[in-house]
Amino acid sequence: MTTTVTGPRIDVPAGGSAGTPVIEVVDLVKVYKGGTRAVDEISFSVGEGEFFGFLGPNGAGKTTTIRILATLLLPTSGAARVAGIDVLAHPGEVRKQVGFAMQTVAVDPLATGRENLELIGRLRRVPGPELKARIDELLVLMKLTESQKKIVGTYSGGMKRRLDLASALLHRPRVLFLDEPTEGLDPQSRMALWEELESVNGSGTTMFLTTHYMEEADRLCKRIAIVDEGKIVVEGTPAELKRTVGTDVVELQLEADGPDELERQRVGITQMLDGYEPVAEIKPSPSGVQLYVANAAAAIPELVRRLDGNGVRIGALTMHQPSLDDVFLRYTGKTIREEQANVHFSGWY
Amino acid sequence: MGLAYESFLLGRRAFLRWARVPGNWLSTLFFPLIQLVLFSQLFKDIIQLPGFEESSYLAYLAPGQIVFAVFLGVSWVGINLLMDYHSGYLDKLRVTPINHLSILFGEMVPLFFTAALMGGVILVTSIVLGASLVTGIAGALGILALSGLFAIAWAGTSFVPALLTKNEQAAGTLSLLFFPLAFMSTAFVPAERMPEWLQVVNNWNPISYVIEAQRGLMSTGFDPEAMGKALIATAILFVITQAATIWAFRRLTTA
Repeated sequence: MTTTVTGPRIDVPAGGSAGTPVIEVVDLVKVYKGGTRAVDEISFSVGEGEFFGFLGPNGAGKTTTIRILATLLLPTSGAARVAGIDVLAHPGEVRKQVGFAMQTVAVDPLATGRENLELIGRLRRVPGPELKARIDELLVLMKLTESQKKIVGTYSGGMKRRLDLASALLHRPRVLFLDEPTEGLDPQSRMALWEELESVNGSGTTMFLTTHYMEEADRLCKRIAIVDEGKIVVEGTPAELKRTVGTDVVELQLEADGPDELERQRVGITQMLDGYEPVAEIKPSPSGVQLYVANAAAAIPELVRRLDGNGVRIGALTMHQPSLDDVFLRYTGKTIREEQANVHFSGWY
Repeated sequence: MGLAYESFLLGRRAFLRWARVPGNWLSTLFFPLIQLVLFSQLFKDIIQLPGFEESSYLAYLAPGQIVFAVFLGVSWVGINLLMDYHSGYLDKLRVTPINHLSILFGEMVPLFFTAALMGGVILVTSIVLGASLVTGIAGALGILALSGLFAIAWAGTSFVPALLTKNEQAAGTLSLLFFPLAFMSTAFVPAERMPEWLQVVNNWNPISYVIEAQRGLMSTGFDPEAMGKALIATAILFVITQAATIWAFRRLTTA
């Protein structure tokens, strides 16, 4: 299917939204009472088994979109289908197909971990023996087997997150919605949760995640849409998006016997690379030079060949792609971090 | 079928939540217990006035204090649903393919049992202190059943403001109406000892009908008329508050 996006769209090859879309959103609009236009004509689609993410600052419309897809909120206009079912016409059928781990961890603090899972499993009509096995399996996956009989009020933040995630997976949903799944977690718990999310996706579940953490979107999502002020600004794989920023960074550390020799090598490098097209810019760094190179992976062999001789001694060569920070900056003209100071309330009533 | 099963599952959760923090409801029992013990001593001699048919003022006072215990058991109960609303747990339930009304019924139905248990504590205490229970176990079950029904009926006065304002502090505002109603009821003196205007008000006071039926079961015996009036009064209150609660709940949970 074809999607209309507001802004540049990068065509996605294999592994993208090819095949039957599991989530289809067309011209979705949500205007809250009071006039806040939280979602402003968003369209996108997510393929079966894909790990898709919305990256954007708080207040960009991520939560509103995910709540509409999870049947918790009615859009002002537009259409959305999840697992082939119209979200507006048959919300009950959609609920059978999806799991939703919300931004605020929703667990019953006065019940045990296992009781929490049993209640949701029974409400979802997972048959008794299967439910027991499924709970055991999820407790292992989420590393909660030891504490399953403890009252959840005694759990740490990370444990509650994992329990919440387990309860969203009990019925083996076809689509899992994750709204800021690692918000408020320490770095260690975040990494652990990322691994768990990857293994859930690995078992075939289509994932739709929202986040304002660059690293999270970069690490987990095969494809992302950058959203800002209710619109999709740009869409593509993290690598593609970063490539649109332009150049990669190649860092050369030089072996030199003193500042003078280092400077002499720098001048040498500048001369040797003069006229070599992929190198857009050369900047001195404390122990060498930084080269801004278009498509560095392809250019490096030739680059290294050109740097042979003239007394240049390369100690180390590292390259990295521009981060999603740079991408966000390029398409919105601001950084996600400065946006976060300006959080505006988007309730659901 | 689905609604009943889902309400049962969620009701069990609500009951366990109640049972696991006994301090909350045990402490609210102090108030009716103190009224029972203290007022029965303070106004001991009032029993000699015409209009009282009981053997002691304690026996007269007991049914009213059972209803006080029931009221205290439900006066802030709307707060539980609000906590689920604010924590996101309500949304978590709404994403499951259940009948959403089961979320409300799961809060309401356990109140029948928790209130009956709380009323039962006052009933047993009264009997230990010397009140009679002429209708025996069957009568006691009748008293507890009436307590449970009145609990659900009155709980609406906590749910409606809570769900409409989404503010925990509002959960106990309307239910406090119980106090003037209870003090104007036959909880403390029989109708014929009231000034005339209060007697007129009393005819419209549902709390009096519940208390009179319970008093009959404790002191005089089965009285179908008193039971019938209590059930009708409770039913009217029940229908009004529950209709309003369901409306407020739908308003809160409709997407």
